[in-house]
Amino acid sequence: MRRSNIWLWSAAALAYAFLYIPLLIVVVYSFNDSKLNAEWVGFTLSWYVALFNNQEMLTAARNSLIIAVSASFLATLLGTMAGLAIHRYKLKFLPVLVFTPVAMPEILLGVALLLFFLQVLNLTLGMVSIIIAHTTFCIGFVAIIVRARLQGMDESIFEAARDLGASPWQTFRLITLPLIMPAVVAGALMSFTLSIDDFVITFFTKGVGEPILPIQIYTMIKVAVTPEVNAISTLLMLLTLTLIIIAAKLDSGILRRETK
Amino acid sequence: MSVPVRSTALSALLAAVLLLAGCSSQQQNAAASGENVLHLFNWNNYIAPATIQRFEQSCNCKLAQDYYADNEEMLAKLAAGASGYDLIVPTGNAMDTLIRQGALKPLDKSLLPNLKNINPAYLDSAFDPGNKYSVPYAYTLTLLGFNQEKVKELGLPTDTWAIIFEPKYLEKIKGRVTVLDSQRELMAAALKYLGYSVNDADEQHWQQARDLILRAKPYWAAFSNTSYVKELAVGNLWVAHGYSNDMFQAALDAKKTGRKFSIGYSTPREGAVLALDSMVLHQSGARPDLAHQFINFMLDGKNSAELTNLTGSGNPNMDAIRFIQPEIADNKAVFPDRELLTRLEMLQDLDRRQRRLLSRLWTEIKLRNL
Amino acid sequence: MPALFSMIKGDSKANRIAKWLVSGPPLLFLLVFFVAPSLIMLFTSLRFPGEFGGLAPIAAPAGAVHGEYGLTLETYQFFFSDILYAEIFLKSFAVAAASTLICLIMAYPLALLIARSEKRFRNLMVLLVVLPFASNFLIRIYAWMIILGPESVFSHFINTVLGAFGIAPVTLLFSSFAVLVGMVYVHLPFMVLPLYTNLEKHDPALLDAAQDLGANAWQRFWRVTWPLSLPGVFSGSALVFIPVLGMFAVPDILGGTGDILIGNLIKDQFLGTRDWPFGSTLSIMLTLAVLAITALAAWLARPAAIPEK
Repeated sequence: MRRSNIWLWSAAALAYAFLYIPLLIVVVYSFNDSKLNAEWVGFTLSWYVALFNNQEMLTAARNSLIIAVSASFLATLLGTMAGLAIHRYKLKFLPVLVFTPVAMPEILLGVALLLFFLQVLNLTLGMVSIIIAHTTFCIGFVAIIVRARLQGMDESIFEAARDLGASPWQTFRLITLPLIMPAVVAGALMSFTLSIDDFVITFFTKGVGEPILPIQIYTMIKVAVTPEVNAISTLLMLLTLTLIIIAAKLDSGILRRETK
Repeated sequence: MSVPVRSTALSALLAAVLLLAGCSSQQQNAAASGENVLHLFNWNNYIAPATIQRFEQSCNCKLAQDYYADNEEMLAKLAAGASGYDLIVPTGNAMDTLIRQGALKPLDKSLLPNLKNINPAYLDSAFDPGNKYSVPYAYTLTLLGFNQEKVKELGLPTDTWAIIFEPKYLEKIKGRVTVLDSQRELMAAALKYLGYSVNDADEQHWQQARDLILRAKPYWAAFSNTSYVKELAVGNLWVAHGYSNDMFQAALDAKKTGRKFSIGYSTPREGAVLALDSMVLHQSGARPDLAHQFINFMLDGKNSAELTNLTGSGNPNMDAIRFIQPEIADNKAVFPDRELLTRLEMLQDLDRRQRRLLSRLWTEIKLRNL
Repeated sequence: MPALFSMIKGDSKANRIAKWLVSGPPLLFLLVFFVAPSLIMLFTSLRFPGEFGGLAPIAAPAGAVHGEYGLTLETYQFFFSDILYAEIFLKSFAVAAASTLICLIMAYPLALLIARSEKRFRNLMVLLVVLPFASNFLIRIYAWMIILGPESVFSHFINTVLGAFGIAPVTLLFSSFAVLVGMVYVHLPFMVLPLYTNLEKHDPALLDAAQDLGANAWQRFWRVTWPLSLPGVFSGSALVFIPVLGMFAVPDILGGTGDILIGNLIKDQFLGTRDWPFGSTLSIMLTLAVLAITALAAWLARPAAIPEK
């Protein structure tokens, strides 16, 4: 047993190293006093200064935050409903609709929504189209998390509430909602992370004149790579890291439930 | 954790997120409050930051730019509903498409007194007779950029497309060459090398060009539209197929950072693509007034010269010539002489059937090996 | 579940209203923003491209002598007219399969270790797997641009080692190798999580029993743990395989001259060639491929195979 453990540990350590070293390098070079991500020259904060003077980048960050907050709000609302409905009623159609966008390569949803927005809604692409697109694929994730939470619960509580004369609404508000709250929060956080991270669908549904963070980063990577990219990356990591820590504090079990 | 604690924590989280959103939105409001914003859809690296600053001061407005690296990309984005642009800077063939599509607003020449500065040779082109819609902005050549020391050391010719197509040369620079990631531009170079016109649409000639490209592909490091500028300047690349203004930029960067080598560029003797880019007003733009202001500003000799001095683009503005640095004015790859001009061609747009065929050839080029 | 239904049965009208109140809004939203767009995509694949991009009108304009209007199957004909497009699908499948396999090999020991660790450490260890997701998707790819770049420490090291064996230096960035590394890096956690959730459920008593029966470590793994973990393997594989199949950003940023996948081709139809119908056709084909794979994975991972503890 012990020998196999050593094998396991070293394999796992390699995997962890593989996961973290690249990110570490990005962070380290964000403080490097050289335009090239090659040799270490000296410590500087100038890339962060440049970043905070980059009006377009700040606007992009703001736009992405607005999109992520709106999309995760909508997705949490609709996804929680979907999760409840799928768990409680024998529905055939809804589960297919909810889970398919999650299982599809993103590019397909991006293409379909692009064509739809242009041909049917005649909508000028912009923040609204991105929010709708992000909501569409986040609903499924929220529903999965909420349903998993419901599946793990003791049904007799609801029965007891009913026996005590609670209306369906009262049962929902006083029993169900508090019980699924951790899953709802986890779903909201996951949607937020997915939305702020999403590149592919944003790429297809974005409009003009409103810079969006992932698109800005993509342009920077493709056109002129400077350590400003590293700086914005580091800040983004900090933001999502904070969110995850808050989530973990909020309910230490969120993660386990999420993965089930 | 009890329920009340949890919801308190939740609201704290929400508050934090909103606060974050609010913080950055304050910054944004400051910028948006002017409300005078000119939306420019431009090539990347095609206007100097200093020029932008002076224009913003003169018009008391903000210039917002979106970029493209390829005419096809620009047209595709417009076809996919991109709108809200006041000004676009398309190349002739793309402008032709936009005009025929009815996507452009006619110019009000009474607002453009500086139009007189443009060399008449660049006016009244076949793409826009009478310049109803367009004013020339600048031009670039698609040519070869190279690391002068390396090329000399290896004894490679720099005045022919052979250097990017012939294995006997490529062998010496394997993995140090990039070509443009543009269906039209790469095909144009191959067609020129084979002795055809860049606008030759004969399928057999296209297939010959494809075979030429496939034979050379194993030696290329990548298809690159933008990153070659930096890689040339750093010394990672030795030869690149690209635009004259980008090569100018690479040469400048290499000089500024004190590299041990210098970047040169030249037009192959077989001929090359000349791209005359013009400023046009898109139908979807909300501020034609600012757009006219910008055009007239850029037609001013001094401003136009700055464009050339800082980005290395060719200049159709007669009044600008006196402000242009002499070493740039003497550079034949920036200002082609009469003899060279005869070997340059402008691209024409393809119809939908040709586009689909070219796309298939391109897929073959990317996917297959000889 | 039965308790819930008995509770609901009591007041059937109120219940029906509640059912529609809860399931109606998400249903409506997804009908409009998922089903309709998918149908539009299908419809678009049956049309002609417009002269300048976009689509040709369905009805011929008055006075049109010739031209291409209405509906057509020509994009499908075009797709099947050349083996090229089958090749690009095959290549995408190969890249997806390779990425999935590498992910599996890297993820399995990690998931196993987490599942066998003390309970109080497990959450932290899982968190450490998910945490890299806290960085932006593009940044995760960008990190490899730095690592594999020609002037990087890693490249120098590799080429020094290769040089010692007399092998010519290689460029790591802009290659199929870089694409594979990027794909694996971006998708690795998708493999770890389902594997871990499966492995965590295994009853240690089974392994003890196997040991008592004289099975060595390898036999215990191969005869007990591995077969039991197959559902986790299949769902993890689907979670990696499918996104890789449609990915265009990784080849776009890390790929070299030959690295084009089906996703790049689709993207190019919309953002380069202006050929929406053909782009839609390619998307439909990709959808079919994904559906086939999902069905296969679902069948392989069917719950009957999981002996719950």
